[in-house]
Amino acid sequence: MNLIPLILAVPLCGAFCTALCGKRGKLANWIALAAELAVLLMAAGTFPPLADGLDSCRFLLVGEPGLAFAADGFRRVWLVLIAFAFAMSGLMCPEYLAHSHAQARYQTATLLTLCGTLGVFLAADFFTLFVCFELMSLSSWLWVLHEETPGAKYAADTYLAVAVLGGLVLLLGIFLLHIGFGGEPSFAMMRQLDYTGAPRALRYLTGGLMLFGFAAKAGLFPLHFWLPMAHPVAPAPSSALLSGVLTKCGVLGMLLLSTTLFQNDFRWGEVVLSLGVVTMALGAALALCSVDLKRTLACSSVSQIGFIAVGVGLISLLGTENALAVRGTVLHMMNHTLIKLVLFLAAGVFAMCRGTLDLNELRGAGRGNLPLLLAFLTGAWSVAGIPGGSGYLSKTMLHESIVEYTELVKGSGGSIVTELHIVEWLFLISGGLTLAYMAKLFLTLFVAEPAKGGKPVRMGAATLTALAVPSAALWALGLAPHPLTDRLLDLAQPVLTGAVLEHPLHYYSLANLTGGGISLAIGAAVYFCIVRRLLRRDGELVNVVPAWCDVERKIYRPLFLRLLPGAAGLVCRMVDCSLDGAVVLLRRTVFCNLGKPKREVAGVRLTDTLGRLCDRIVLLLNRTVRRGDPIEHRSFVYIFAEREREIVASSRLITVSLSFGMLLACAGLVATLLYLLV
Amino acid sequence: MKYLTNLEHLDPIDLSVGYPILLVLFVPLVLGAALLLLRPLREGRAARKTFTAAALAVDLLLVYLLLRQPDAKPAALFWLTPDLPIVVNQDLLSRAFLAMAAALWLAAGIFSFGYFKGDRREGLFYGVYLMVFGMLAGVAVSGNLISLYLFYELLTLTSSLLVFYEGTHEAVMAGLKYLFYSIGGAFLALIGVFVLARMNGWLVFQPGGLTLHENIAGRTPVILAVAFLMLLGVGAKAGMYPLHGWLPTAHPVAPAPASAVLSGLIVKAGVFFAIRLVYYTIGADLLRGTWVQYAWLTLALVTVFMGSMLAFMEPVLKKRLAYSTVSQVSYILFGLALLTPTGLTGGLLHMIFHAVTKCGLFLAAGAFIKQSKCTRVDGLEGVGRAMPVTTACFAMFGLSLVGIPPFSGFVSKWYLATGVSGAGVGLFALIGPAVLLLSALLTAGYLFPLPVRGFFAPAKKGVREAPPVMTVPLAALAVLSLVLGIFAQPLAGLLAQIAGSVL
Repeated sequence: MNLIPLILAVPLCGAFCTALCGKRGKLANWIALAAELAVLLMAAGTFPPLADGLDSCRFLLVGEPGLAFAADGFRRVWLVLIAFAFAMSGLMCPEYLAHSHAQARYQTATLLTLCGTLGVFLAADFFTLFVCFELMSLSSWLWVLHEETPGAKYAADTYLAVAVLGGLVLLLGIFLLHIGFGGEPSFAMMRQLDYTGAPRALRYLTGGLMLFGFAAKAGLFPLHFWLPMAHPVAPAPSSALLSGVLTKCGVLGMLLLSTTLFQNDFRWGEVVLSLGVVTMALGAALALCSVDLKRTLACSSVSQIGFIAVGVGLISLLGTENALAVRGTVLHMMNHTLIKLVLFLAAGVFAMCRGTLDLNELRGAGRGNLPLLLAFLTGAWSVAGIPGGSGYLSKTMLHESIVEYTELVKGSGGSIVTELHIVEWLFLISGGLTLAYMAKLFLTLFVAEPAKGGKPVRMGAATLTALAVPSAALWALGLAPHPLTDRLLDLAQPVLTGAVLEHPLHYYSLANLTGGGISLAIGAAVYFCIVRRLLRRDGELVNVVPAWCDVERKIYRPLFLRLLPGAAGLVCRMVDCSLDGAVVLLRRTVFCNLGKPKREVAGVRLTDTLGRLCDRIVLLLNRTVRRGDPIEHRSFVYIFAEREREIVASSRLITVSLSFGMLLACAGLVATLLYLLV
Repeated sequence: MKYLTNLEHLDPIDLSVGYPILLVLFVPLVLGAALLLLRPLREGRAARKTFTAAALAVDLLLVYLLLRQPDAKPAALFWLTPDLPIVVNQDLLSRAFLAMAAALWLAAGIFSFGYFKGDRREGLFYGVYLMVFGMLAGVAVSGNLISLYLFYELLTLTSSLLVFYEGTHEAVMAGLKYLFYSIGGAFLALIGVFVLARMNGWLVFQPGGLTLHENIAGRTPVILAVAFLMLLGVGAKAGMYPLHGWLPTAHPVAPAPASAVLSGLIVKAGVFFAIRLVYYTIGADLLRGTWVQYAWLTLALVTVFMGSMLAFMEPVLKKRLAYSTVSQVSYILFGLALLTPTGLTGGLLHMIFHAVTKCGLFLAAGAFIKQSKCTRVDGLEGVGRAMPVTTACFAMFGLSLVGIPPFSGFVSKWYLATGVSGAGVGLFALIGPAVLLLSALLTAGYLFPLPVRGFFAPAKKGVREAPPVMTVPLAALAVLSLVLGIFAQPLAGLLAQIAGSVL
């Protein structure tokens, strides 16, 4: 039975129901949880014992090509993982959101996001992927906004802007793909096609645009800035999903590009690898400096996405021998989802009980809560890549892939061996930094002497389940690499690459343990030398990242909100006014007799001109010299006009007065006298 | 002088079959005139509303009657002179246009009952409003260029009364500007009508253009020049640069229901003229690859960017929407100018989707202004909590206009952008989609802040939700803009059929 339509329909119907809940937040929480569990059951039902063959379906909706979905091994695994993550976060919701406003809105957003995310992972072509991507992207905006604090609003604005910008750039890439490479083939077909003959400029332009869109969602450098801002302000159950699941939609897009349009493509691989390396190191450094629990975890996500991007780059670079890189990438994606689920939900417990995320205030807050400690330790253990955790397996595979590629380049006499060694060391160092910041978190929260006061951190049974089940899954993946992990990867691998693994990897061989060991040693050194010495003043953790490093506030916002619109707006205004301006110009010059506006002259012409001149001068003075203290005055035109009228009136008074007449008579007499005398 | 004709002969219309056309043309005119002239009808508050509602229902019924008729050959309605027939016809394109116009006319009409509450002069508005519909229907069913020109001018004259309605100094000046630009543009088109008529007397529309071939030998440059002038001229109505200047002046000063139909439908008359001209008179083949096509594409793209940029900078809500219209209508023109089936389908789809969306946006703006007395976007903070339905509708229209799937705007943009493949327009194949998306980004920038700040700010005091007579048409349009997007296939198929018949 084809379950895909049902899997997509259930969250949509659920969203409709929760939207109608209004003020009955509890009901909305339960509806959402029911829908999520139903999706989880159905997702499990798509596996071979229950369903056989390839499920696919096409809906003739939203335009010409219609929406096409298909479930193969890779996607089935992810389907279950996504549904699982949503269900676990949904389990925590009733407790976490108990006193929150707008729970129904929150759950509607959650279910719509679930539908979009499932759609992204089930999509059979880029068109469908885009449609679902936008649904996911925009509904999750309500998560970021949920708290409605000024910080949340600020972050939500950025999130929305990045989502819309990323989405539209991605769409442009998809347009070019459609226009330049003909039609809308499914991913499976694209993998068969050979794109090396296609025009290179067009291919890279298409790929670059799509990479921008996906990287914006994944949080790849230089589009990582929104992630440490947006993830912490959302409620914890949704931060877990934002960080663990939604970033993977972007990663999935990059992975699909690497395995279709850019199979075997050297430049593409190099670009993605470089971005990945920068992201990996930058995220780790930011996480090390952060003093906010959830912000640290969000920066850690940036760093881990960098690790995954390194893998995605290697998939392209290694070409036909990329089996190990594919396995490492996919496993690290899965690990990261589970790890961040556990860690963010644990952070949620702290936020719920203490109402703060500041590490200095949370010092020792977790002491005495053993389940919470174990869950947090599981996540930290795994993400730090300590042997025994599942993170160790994926990082080992990624590390091996770098080594493999270095050997390959060496063998063919390539010139970038040094750079690859740098990459390898940055990889190890970033792994070490991961250990350092996780140790910082763990020791601060669970080991340090508690600060005075504060309620003990407690949680209910549902939250406990939400923490315990993914933790158990992480240990299972880490401790049973061959019976469990490898089998899952065997399902996923053939979908993404034709290459086969020549010999199974021995995770715990000496060489691999050495790599892990170096990383851990670096981590320990960093923790003791840097975190304990440099990042602590008087026993308090401090953030040493200076404020001017904020690219968003200092560069992106002014650039996109002021500079670019200002310049473009000016040009557009000039274009806009060109015809109207020409009309006005003609009326002033050629047709001056027609349209010149007539102004009433106050007083006589002389006073009018003089008055206007004085007005202008005062205006000029007010704008320049007397800026702070403007001269207030009546219009000089009227002052002069009045004065002129006074003068005229008084002179007329003189001419009509008796004394003036007598004066004139005297003058006449004098004149007569003079005439007689002369 | 002997005129050349493209049809053997032109039958006079057979009224026993074709009477609905006549009714659609003249009944609105008569009803509108009756409302304007009969004083008791105009003065009584209940009387004028009942009469208008009934008249709108009658219009809708007549349009329905007309749509049920089979396609008819072009037939002469009457002859101005023996050489100048007024021809009507009915094909898929005119049906689509008429159906769209009738639906939106009804929605804006119902909305206006709420909008004009407390305005004693509303009777004048209703009368003109009814008459304009007749003229618009005339544009839709015109069968040759001459009758199209006639109805086009009549549409300009009647619709200018909608702009004059407020009677303020600003409104009068804006109305005059509208008249000058539109009539100036129409004169540019008239030059073309004269020139083309010398080659083809009756100028009856034929899918794929007139069979001019034996008459145009050596005259291609003239035809191209004339085509360009005509496109510029009808571009005045469609708000295409450089004759777009009237639009941001005239649309905001009209009352909201009038701005809604002006921006949603009456600018589309210019688009419709362009389609009839390019695809039914001159023929796309003659223009393909010529300087006219490139010039047209350039002007359309310049307008797309300029309009949305200026909308982004504009603080007054209705003016912002008017600039948005400038930008969006040129999306349609871009699709038409590609001269490919997909591009034309995209243009036609966007014509309909934009009509629904922009009509809704102006109605929502009207509701905001009526309820809160606030015309600027920054004054509308917190309006979402006070007027949730209107703001939610505004948000949905915004999503559609930006082109977020699965809203309808996405579908048309998909067709428009993919229409460049096979158009053979060189660099435009890259620039076109890029400009469309840049403009979409700006669209998000000028439409989203209102609902976002509206919902997520403290509720605006003293503002109440609009009455149902206003919110119901709004909600209907919002749902339509979503449903048309999700189930776009049938409509897209229908419009692709039109595109297939002319290309």
